[in-house]
Amino acid sequence: MSRWASARVAEIERRDEWIPIRDHFGVRAFGINAFRGDEPGDRVISEHREGWRGHEELYVVLEGHATFTIEGDEVDAPARTIVYVREPGALRGAVAKEAGTVVLAVGGEPGATFEPEDFEVIWPYANPALAHYRAGRYAEAAQTLREGLEAYPDSAGLRYDLACFSCLAGDRESALTQLREAIRREPRFRETARKDKDFAALRNDPEFAAAIA
Amino acid sequence: MTKPYEVLSIDDLDRIPVAEGLEWRPIRRRLGIRSFGTNAYTSERVGGWVVEEHVEGSGHEELYVVVSGRARFTLDGEELDAPAGTIVFLPEHDVSRKAVSEEEGTTVLALGGWPDKPFAPSAWEWYFEAYAHEPERGVEIMREGIAELGERPWLLYHLACQEALAGRRDDAREHLRRAIELDPALAERARDDDDLEGVEP
Repeated sequence: MSRWASARVAEIERRDEWIPIRDHFGVRAFGINAFRGDEPGDRVISEHREGWRGHEELYVVLEGHATFTIEGDEVDAPARTIVYVREPGALRGAVAKEAGTVVLAVGGEPGATFEPEDFEVIWPYANPALAHYRAGRYAEAAQTLREGLEAYPDSAGLRYDLACFSCLAGDRESALTQLREAIRREPRFRETARKDKDFAALRNDPEFAAAIA
Repeated sequence: MTKPYEVLSIDDLDRIPVAEGLEWRPIRRRLGIRSFGTNAYTSERVGGWVVEEHVEGSGHEELYVVVSGRARFTLDGEELDAPAGTIVFLPEHDVSRKAVSEEEGTTVLALGGWPDKPFAPSAWEWYFEAYAHEPERGVEIMREGIAELGERPWLLYHLACQEALAGRRDDAREHLRRAIELDPALAERARDDDDLEGVEP
């Protein structure tokens, strides 16, 4: 087995805009991914905070030109710009200003051994499940994640998504069970569920209210 | 109030000459990153180093990104052509690695850390920078390193060197003595080090 590996960014198989560098190489010491916006206006960094996992994040514009928005400040970021977001709780996002913009994102939690995120690990199941979800095939989406649950029983993210898809498929029991389990593993999902439209059918259900209380 | 973020261009990074055309462009220390190591390296001339020849004695796994230009890596004796946009990942710390610039202004971004424990900065970040300044400033930089990382033998050793270069022989003697206390192997290095001429531990 080779003791090193190489690839060009453009050769790594994409997952929508996401170029999964960490997963491709099996990097274990820090998080690293790239995101590509094919057209101007495409999102290259989703609007998010890192507060729940305490990551500091470094972004490097490798190609093209991006516009970052951080805590409401607009930051012009041509190629070779480095953006360091020190505060995990800062709201940040970026869109491509030029076609073919590529942004590298590197992150980790100071003082902690790095662990890959849920969404990277469960992708082989989450990706086909999302395709069913987008096509309105909610029962099939839920079934795909149930298969994923056998491989990753500790994944809070997978259980949360399964709760959403179960709810949309009309499976109240599964939705409530998986939501409770997701929140038990990752309390941040309580807040997410409060605003999540996927749970519209349970909004007036007392057991749902208790789960997110 | 301090902003929760900082923005700069790779072109704004300091250039600290190291060897064979390689310029160290500190990122981690400049920004105060605490969860992984990261720096850029540039060579303005073809054939200059963009990754110095080394094995990763720290035990880090390392990932290199060719940001601009074109580099030629040599990894355990095997050559790799690496135009801009190439990523090279070395999970094994003892792979011998080197990269030279194939185009003027080639820049490589390096990232590193341990897979099984939290990141901690390396002492070399301070002493590489110290030697790029006048000795008085070098002394300050080494003291900053000790304030951040604590008493490490190499930090004390290079503090002693900077103090000797600044003409502060008593301070140099004291810090060299302490460095050798912590790592007796440094005594031999000190004997042959021109920076420490006339400084007996």
